[in-house]
Amino acid sequence: MTASVTQTAHQVSSKALAWLHTHHQRGALPDDTTADLGDPNSVYKPLGETALAGTLVLREAATGTTELRVARELIDYCWRQFGEGAMLYERLLRYPMMSDPLETYSHFTRVGYRHEPLERLLAHTTRLRTVRGVEQVPNRKLAVANATRVVGLDAEPHAYDWDELARATWLGGTPEPWLIDWMTGYSLTHAVFHLTDWGARPNGLSHELTEYVSTWLPVWIDIWAEIEQWDLVAELMIVGCCLERPYCDAADWELLARVQHADGLMPRDGDPVSDDPDERFEHHQHTAVVAAVAGTLAVSRTLGGGQHAPADR
Amino acid sequence: MSPDRSQTAYAESAADLARRVLGALKGAGGTALVAEHVERADDPKAALAALRVVGADTFAPFLLGDSVFHPQDAAAFATSFTIFPPPVTSPTPPPAGPAEPWVVAWRDWAMAELLGRFTAPEGPAPAGSAAAGLAELTGIDTAEVTGVRAPQPQGAPLLADDRLRAAYGAGGPRAREAVRVPEGSYAADRLHATDAGYAADAPASAAEAAGLDWQRWSVRMGQLSPLALPGLDGPVHRAARGAPLALARGASRALLRRDHPTAARIVRWLAFLGSDGVPLPLELPPLIEHLELLGGGGPRIALDLAIARRLLALEPSA
Repeated sequence: MTASVTQTAHQVSSKALAWLHTHHQRGALPDDTTADLGDPNSVYKPLGETALAGTLVLREAATGTTELRVARELIDYCWRQFGEGAMLYERLLRYPMMSDPLETYSHFTRVGYRHEPLERLLAHTTRLRTVRGVEQVPNRKLAVANATRVVGLDAEPHAYDWDELARATWLGGTPEPWLIDWMTGYSLTHAVFHLTDWGARPNGLSHELTEYVSTWLPVWIDIWAEIEQWDLVAELMIVGCCLERPYCDAADWELLARVQHADGLMPRDGDPVSDDPDERFEHHQHTAVVAAVAGTLAVSRTLGGGQHAPADR
Repeated sequence: MSPDRSQTAYAESAADLARRVLGALKGAGGTALVAEHVERADDPKAALAALRVVGADTFAPFLLGDSVFHPQDAAAFATSFTIFPPPVTSPTPPPAGPAEPWVVAWRDWAMAELLGRFTAPEGPAPAGSAAAGLAELTGIDTAEVTGVRAPQPQGAPLLADDRLRAAYGAGGPRAREAVRVPEGSYAADRLHATDAGYAADAPASAAEAAGLDWQRWSVRMGQLSPLALPGLDGPVHRAARGAPLALARGASRALLRRDHPTAARIVRWLAFLGSDGVPLPLELPPLIEHLELLGGGGPRIALDLAIARRLLALEPSA
């Protein structure tokens, strides 16, 4: 007798979330951090990703009270790390063309955390043609568009042309599925995340792209599982949860459950995992976030959730 | 000759025959290519074994090109069956029986079936001068060789997920509708979980009883690719027609895993379906060209791809 997707996904995401919670203080910004952020990818970006996982747990509300409390505590922790928005505000004041303050802030706004001066400033910058015209790869443009939508700054006449944004991505060309590399795999997952707002708007993926992804997703999950790229596999499993008819395969979930360590660590790949606690956190926190999101969405979608946002704003 | 050496000789001879067949398919044909392969061989026994390895594919230039089948060719095939006789009874299909002899039996059937077709009106291949030449080479009295018999095996590779079988099945709007149903979604994951290969604790045969997952099923179909020739039909062909999506996934997966021979074999089936007008989820010409250019070459892959091109009426590769 095999456990259902719902059970396994719940177990994986609960353990990943608990692991993030146990170790979250290892991911604190250094005391001397300023809005300049010498290395934004080291701590700043992961804090935003942890916040994202927490807010999706709350958004879906398809888990137990312990997980909801843990998610809330993680969001609070990240919010405090960002000076309750003040640090993001300072960063945007200094770098008005950068999109990361918007993207980071957008996660918190899902669950009602607001910073008025930041929002006022974002309302200004996100409308500027110079900011909108910054040259970025297409799935990054989608990330900014979705963040703008989530914060609520995309009202007419500043709405995005989602079809055009989607067409510009790798995925938008419905390419030959038999030639794709690791980085392109990530690009395709993120195109789906942002078009559907992490599964809240499955209709955000056009019918044609939904059919394309449904057709080939099992192949990509299979080949990256074979070479133990768990981080990408779990991201692809999120993609499955974002589809109008979700693809949540029990065997994939059992596999992910098997590679997860007893303490909840989700290894990013098949390489040996360090014994050093800080290194373990640094190397594998992203995969824990991905697993928590994947599990949360899988539970929600298999229980029939996932239509939180109206089809059109 | 040591067994290793003999294996090498067989493999070399099979590659040589594949090259000949490929050349004939592309129009560079002499006459009686099969008989010539045996007669000119240093090791006639290896050459006859190669006939069984390349099998039904040897008929591709006669079926898809403009090569003319000669009585000497028929005699060579018949001799090969005499020296390497197929089992009298058909092997038990998997999962009750092992897969390999069953796959071989299907390939033998395809070869015997086509041989029968090319020799049918005149009856068994006459033992002409070429056959007499073969008798000299092999020590077999080919005058004794009558028709070739290989019983039709039972069954076809069974695909576990019936939604994949339905998807793209018969073409038309209903088939298009079917493919929108993502295979293995939570609604049916119980079925999928039992055979997905990762839960490999259960014995393979137990997993196979419920059908193969699309990964293993497509590989098995690839092993049966010599059946993907015009004029052959049976349960394996029906299985292929019922599951173009599983074949397309299998071909893509094989290519991504750089298992180019498997990819080329599965592409054969897709081309076979394409030639029948079955809607496919993959565009085949770029895939065929990609395998030709990046597949590592070799006559075996080249032959599969050339057959695929012919099936689809594409221009031959340069």
